[in-house]
Amino acid sequence: MSSYSNISRRDFLRVLGLSGAAATLAGCGKTSIESGQETVQSFVQPEDFVVPGIGVYYASTCTQCVSRCGVMGRVREGRLLKLEGNPQSVISRGKICALGQATVQAQYNPDRITSPLMRQGGALVPISWEKANQILNDQLGSASRLSGKQIAFLTGEVGGHQSVLLNNFLETFHSNHHVVYDPLSTAVGRSASQVVYGVDQPLLEIDKARMILSFGNDFLGVGPSSVHMAGQYARFRKAPRGVLVQIEPRMTITGANADHWYAIKPGTEGVFALGVAHALVQHSAYSNGVPAEVISALKAYDKETVSAITGVRAETIPHLAGMLWERSPSLVLSGYGAESHANGQQNAASILLLNLILGNQNKTLTGQAKQPFPQLLPSQGSYKAFANLNNEMSAGNIKALLLFDTNPVFTSPGFMPFAKNLSAVPFKVAFATQLNETSNECDLVLPLLSPLEDFGTHVASYQPQGIELGIQQPLMTQLYPQTRSFGDIMLDLLKLRGVSEYKNFPNYYAYIQTALIKSKPVFKSGLNDQEFWEDALSKGSLRLDVGPSTLSPKPNAVSIAKPKEEAADLILPFHFVPSVRADWRDGTHTNLPWLQESPDTLTTVAWDSWVEIHPSTAEQMQIVEGDVLEIKSSAGSIKAMAYLFPGIHPDTISMPLGQGHTAYGRYADGIGVNPFKIIAPVYDEKTGELAMHATRVSIRKTGERGRLTKDEGATNLQQGRKLVAMVSPDQVNLSKEISHVVK
Amino acid sequence: MNSLFHRQCATFTMIFFAFFLYCATAFSEPFVPGGDIGSQTENGFNSLGPVVEQPIEFPHNVHAGQLGINCMYCHTYARRAPVAGIPRLNKCIGCHQWVASVKDKPRIQQLMEYWDKKEAIPWKKVHDLPDFVRFNHERHIQRFVFQENRPAKEACGYCHGDVANMVTARRVKALSMGWCVSCHQKDHPISATNSKTTNGPNDCWQCHK
Repeated sequence: MSSYSNISRRDFLRVLGLSGAAATLAGCGKTSIESGQETVQSFVQPEDFVVPGIGVYYASTCTQCVSRCGVMGRVREGRLLKLEGNPQSVISRGKICALGQATVQAQYNPDRITSPLMRQGGALVPISWEKANQILNDQLGSASRLSGKQIAFLTGEVGGHQSVLLNNFLETFHSNHHVVYDPLSTAVGRSASQVVYGVDQPLLEIDKARMILSFGNDFLGVGPSSVHMAGQYARFRKAPRGVLVQIEPRMTITGANADHWYAIKPGTEGVFALGVAHALVQHSAYSNGVPAEVISALKAYDKETVSAITGVRAETIPHLAGMLWERSPSLVLSGYGAESHANGQQNAASILLLNLILGNQNKTLTGQAKQPFPQLLPSQGSYKAFANLNNEMSAGNIKALLLFDTNPVFTSPGFMPFAKNLSAVPFKVAFATQLNETSNECDLVLPLLSPLEDFGTHVASYQPQGIELGIQQPLMTQLYPQTRSFGDIMLDLLKLRGVSEYKNFPNYYAYIQTALIKSKPVFKSGLNDQEFWEDALSKGSLRLDVGPSTLSPKPNAVSIAKPKEEAADLILPFHFVPSVRADWRDGTHTNLPWLQESPDTLTTVAWDSWVEIHPSTAEQMQIVEGDVLEIKSSAGSIKAMAYLFPGIHPDTISMPLGQGHTAYGRYADGIGVNPFKIIAPVYDEKTGELAMHATRVSIRKTGERGRLTKDEGATNLQQGRKLVAMVSPDQVNLSKEISHVVK
Repeated sequence: MNSLFHRQCATFTMIFFAFFLYCATAFSEPFVPGGDIGSQTENGFNSLGPVVEQPIEFPHNVHAGQLGINCMYCHTYARRAPVAGIPRLNKCIGCHQWVASVKDKPRIQQLMEYWDKKEAIPWKKVHDLPDFVRFNHERHIQRFVFQENRPAKEACGYCHGDVANMVTARRVKALSMGWCVSCHQKDHPISATNSKTTNGPNDCWQCHK
């Protein structure tokens, strides 16, 4: 032991010096340069413009949500590296959202299916396309006896020529049983909009408004065209600066941007809107043009009554009415939360009535441009249609079910029970890029090209400016040789059914090309066919510059019911809000690790589920952050860690949708819990749609405690030091503050 | 300071020393004395890189030497892109589908095999800088060949050596950071009294992006 400590510094340096010299003699080319280890990127016969190191941009259309933004992909050496917004698209205007960016991960996801799969002895085994085609022929070929509703196609909101082929295929069975299931269906909002404006979805001219009063409408987060609307919102905020007021039980990202945010008791948004309407019609400027029966019905909505029902302070109502009076034109928006109650359509219609009273129609609310291709519009989902299918399945009436762009085993409410009914269907085919909970239950799984490898056409249901027919084209050659285009498979199925008009199309590309070139007159193009097609591909879309149409609203169509007393529920005392994150939505995209890694914008939690609970409620129940809570409804229960969140009504708790996958790949499985499963069977009275925000729950501390993975660090950021002073609104005259800024 | 600390120091020194010697001996290539690095001797090259086995023994001495083909004819990406790349296969075929005199030679037959299969030849990298270095060929070629009008042989040869006399390419220059910086230093010296905020090509982030 002491022998080592006897080395003196002199000795040490001498030794070091010797070895150092030896090292230098051995060659000064001692670098990290390698030779002969890696292979050079070598080409055989690339196009002239392919230069290694220099990216080439190709245009396409994003299919991650219903907005259908135009995107462009940067391709280097044959590999897609990144997506950007396409500046030539009026929907995206050169911008792109997180969901769009993450599509690159859908392309390269290691869990993609690379060959057809067949159910054999309880498991899915890989088979050849020859075998898969044989199965398709046996079950769905020209010898098939299926007809009518026995065969059903369950999809997401698919449109364009994909849906044309799909529906033509069903027609060969004399069937029109195409069911579109959107778990976050906007059917209630559309119905209310029809009642009040006569259209499903008016155009929201956000940048023309001087004030936006939004009842939980998350236009910056979820849409209907969030990228475009974010751009409009930026212009809305330029001088003269618009004011955004958000009223909702649980703060959304749009609410986080608002100048004023009010927490409201869930389901009472319509009552509050009528309170504001009541205040407005006191002035003749607003009561003109409003039918007498509406004015007399509004009398019941004085501010004290409304305040008692909604939980919002009474002074807020004349305050907001005053702001709306000062800032014209305004825009009043109804939100998904307001619409997802038993009185959802009622709520929405009442909120939309405010626009009529304020005279916003054809100023900030216009009609969408006339659609030259109605057959290419996506059919929009409704819960009712899905519930009917579920009933038919359980009655054994469905003999063949084809599934595309949908995962109902995951997204259907727990009380249905969809998975059980699915097993009653004798032949189930899933078209998918990756296995999920639903395709795992199917008999045949057909591997698809990713959206970035495929052709397609898309006409978004919300067209913010004119008409844009988005073209989807491959941004690189397919990664896996056994994957196929949905369009190609549908063409083959149609040929299998003996439909002669598709005989001459060797593939989907040829079909789309022919169809779009035929539509040249609609686009008033002076180019020849080849130029027209190439121009369309290079721009990524075909455009029609037409203005918005005029809205002809019907104020007398709005029926106003007396405000209802809601009984307090002692067993399930809390309102449950299953929140929709812009990049998780219904859980279709939680298999993309970038979206898991991106912290939630409001709570900063990543890679997990959480329960948002107001700090005062948490204090009463002695809940701290990280406490594992059991959230129980009449339909089921789930557990997650608590997060104290001031942006929520004290009687409400919220959990994000999208997590809780069990069979969706390595980045989604086993992460978080699935709130879809505890949604209670409450339905909107007018439309029969599932009321997603009408579930009541109880909270129970399980006694376990964990640590939430979140970016914001310490919960109590100020540590009692008043770094950022806060005052409550009644200590400040906000109208005075705002009117100083707004000129 | 106690003896435990000394012992730990000594142990660490021994380990470090042993590692140092290992590094010094493990990666050394035989150095042929008697000339500058990169210079030609009767026995071959004073080279720093090993002989790299290529799928086809491409004779640079025939193409660049005998035939005098300009480097940039084949290595066309060097002046256009940050990545130099290797000629595309159809460039070789462009000539060799017509050149009858070598049609039956074994190396040409190997080439045609690849072409028939439309398979990319898996050439091995010879001058492979580590991934943390970003070397932009285009800027160097644009400056030396097009701006300063040096002949390609000189501009390319400065780093790649006398390729016209090589069979398959072999690294003959150091290509280490110090070697590169010695040129960048010339017009943009970094000194303690220099008040400039950028140092042109001598900035760290020009290469270590």
